[in-house]
Amino acid sequence: MRETVWRAGRASVELLRGAGISLASYLFIGVAVFAAVAMLTVVGAGVLPESVLLVRKTAGYKRRWVGAWTGEPVPEAYQPLNGEVFARVRTAVGDPGTYRDLRWLGAHAVYGWLLACCAMPVWVIGLMVDGVWCGLLKQRAVVLPLIERLVDLDAAWSRALLLPSPEALRTARLAERVAELSETRAGAVAAHGAELRRIERDLHDGTQARLVALSMRVGLARRAYDKDPDAAHKLLEDAQDQAEEALTELRHVVRGIHPPILTDRGLVGAVRALAAGSGLQVSVDDDGVEDGPRAPAAVEAAAYFVIAEALTNAAKHSGAERASVELVRRKDRLRVAVRDEGRGGADPAGGSGLLGMRRRVAALDGTVEMTSPAGGPTLIEVELPCVW
Amino acid sequence: MRVVIAEDNALLREGMVLLLNSAGHEVVAVASSGPEVLPALLEHRPDAAVLDVRMPPGFRDEGLRAALAARREIPGLPVLVLSQYVEETYATELLADGAGGLGYLLKDRVGRVEEFLDALERVVAGGTALDPEVVKELMTRRRDDPVDALTPREREVLHLMAEGRDNATIARTLVVSERAVSKHIGNVFAKLGLPPSDSGHRRVLAVLAYLNKG
Repeated sequence: MRETVWRAGRASVELLRGAGISLASYLFIGVAVFAAVAMLTVVGAGVLPESVLLVRKTAGYKRRWVGAWTGEPVPEAYQPLNGEVFARVRTAVGDPGTYRDLRWLGAHAVYGWLLACCAMPVWVIGLMVDGVWCGLLKQRAVVLPLIERLVDLDAAWSRALLLPSPEALRTARLAERVAELSETRAGAVAAHGAELRRIERDLHDGTQARLVALSMRVGLARRAYDKDPDAAHKLLEDAQDQAEEALTELRHVVRGIHPPILTDRGLVGAVRALAAGSGLQVSVDDDGVEDGPRAPAAVEAAAYFVIAEALTNAAKHSGAERASVELVRRKDRLRVAVRDEGRGGADPAGGSGLLGMRRRVAALDGTVEMTSPAGGPTLIEVELPCVW
Repeated sequence: MRVVIAEDNALLREGMVLLLNSAGHEVVAVASSGPEVLPALLEHRPDAAVLDVRMPPGFRDEGLRAALAARREIPGLPVLVLSQYVEETYATELLADGAGGLGYLLKDRVGRVEEFLDALERVVAGGTALDPEVVKELMTRRRDDPVDALTPREREVLHLMAEGRDNATIARTLVVSERAVSKHIGNVFAKLGLPPSDSGHRRVLAVLAYLNKG
């Protein structure tokens, strides 16, 4: 009985909340009408978008409420209100979501408090009937649970009214996706720029400087050739050292841009080479990634660097003896998972290597997830969107 | 000796011909793409083949594949593989057949003419020439107790052994007597728990197998 009353009480609170909104709705309707009228005077045009925003907030609150009560979230889909005043007014007036909200606001103004009113007699009758039926005769309560049904009713109606049209939902999702893509593209462009600057610097400060020094020594050796053969010999030797160092640096730069083994062997072959050279016992599960077309070079390179970094970390810090790499080809993405049976406890935020990994993956609109509980295992999962 | 070269870059190809000719070797054929390599080798049966890893048509590892195919077709054919970069994996694949007469070097090494020719001769004589870079990769990876227990000098000796050098060369490189080298080698093998081995290709394979065990 106590449980029944408690539940009914909770439901009543929800109904009262609904009633509160519905009473506030009168105010909003007032504001909306005022704004609409004010718009006619042009000066008041600025008020309209603000009041639409206010209505959106209220509807959003109700959506979250319905979602919490039914356990099934109600999606939201509005056109973003930004830009200068007239653009905002246009959007506010043109958005079908505005009219849906107003429709709900009007309807809810009625059923919101009506349902709350219904709850009152139910309480009176319920306490008497269920008091005897449930409290004394130990049967299931019949009347008080009706209050919860009233809340269900509120939730069902509100959901029906607040659910955006499928078209609006699609538009909103697209808009969201566009915003996301713009952001990642900006990130990719920035990352690309940084990468180009790094390569330029490496070539400029390293290789180019070495080649200049080399050329200089060859020139000096030519001058010294007749008069001082020993000095010429020494200069040529230096020159050859410089040439070799320049080549070593170039190899380093090339590896940083695109590891040559990726070109030679493809992703799976390159990963197997990484695994063989990691110093750990690494199993590679490639799940048919090699069959069919190859992933774009940037995706392969990102996957390669992620795996290289993860295996290096595993070998250096985890204390693990074995690790596993999994490559999975999904319809629109490449999934990479690296797992080691080490001691775990790696900081997901820390480490420049991990940061670089995240940046590289984010530039391709991918995601990095890392779990490393103390005691292990450490698991790094990366998803890279790509068209095969 | 008679040599077949496979190299697609004209500049490097000419340089290589010049270099080999200057040392008194004869370049009997030049292949400039992967598929040309095997027919040229079968036709000329040279004393040695010098192959570039990356070649047309795919610009991937055609040269390496050609080298492996050639060794299958002509067992014991001395092959020296050159590459702009070295991969441990490739070294392992090349050495997998267990036969001698194999070299795997960075292209940069060509610049040290004497050393390069020495490596080529070593390969032709059935020995091994493994690039120091590959050995370095292997050595840094194997960081367990036995390798740690080696003295710096013994590590140097191990490094040179893995490159495929014989005792005389090791002695010359480290400026010590050959007897001292033999002693060092004995110590290295004892510390690593490897059975003593002669100075031929088998020794290189034993050392590499040890380093490769990871």
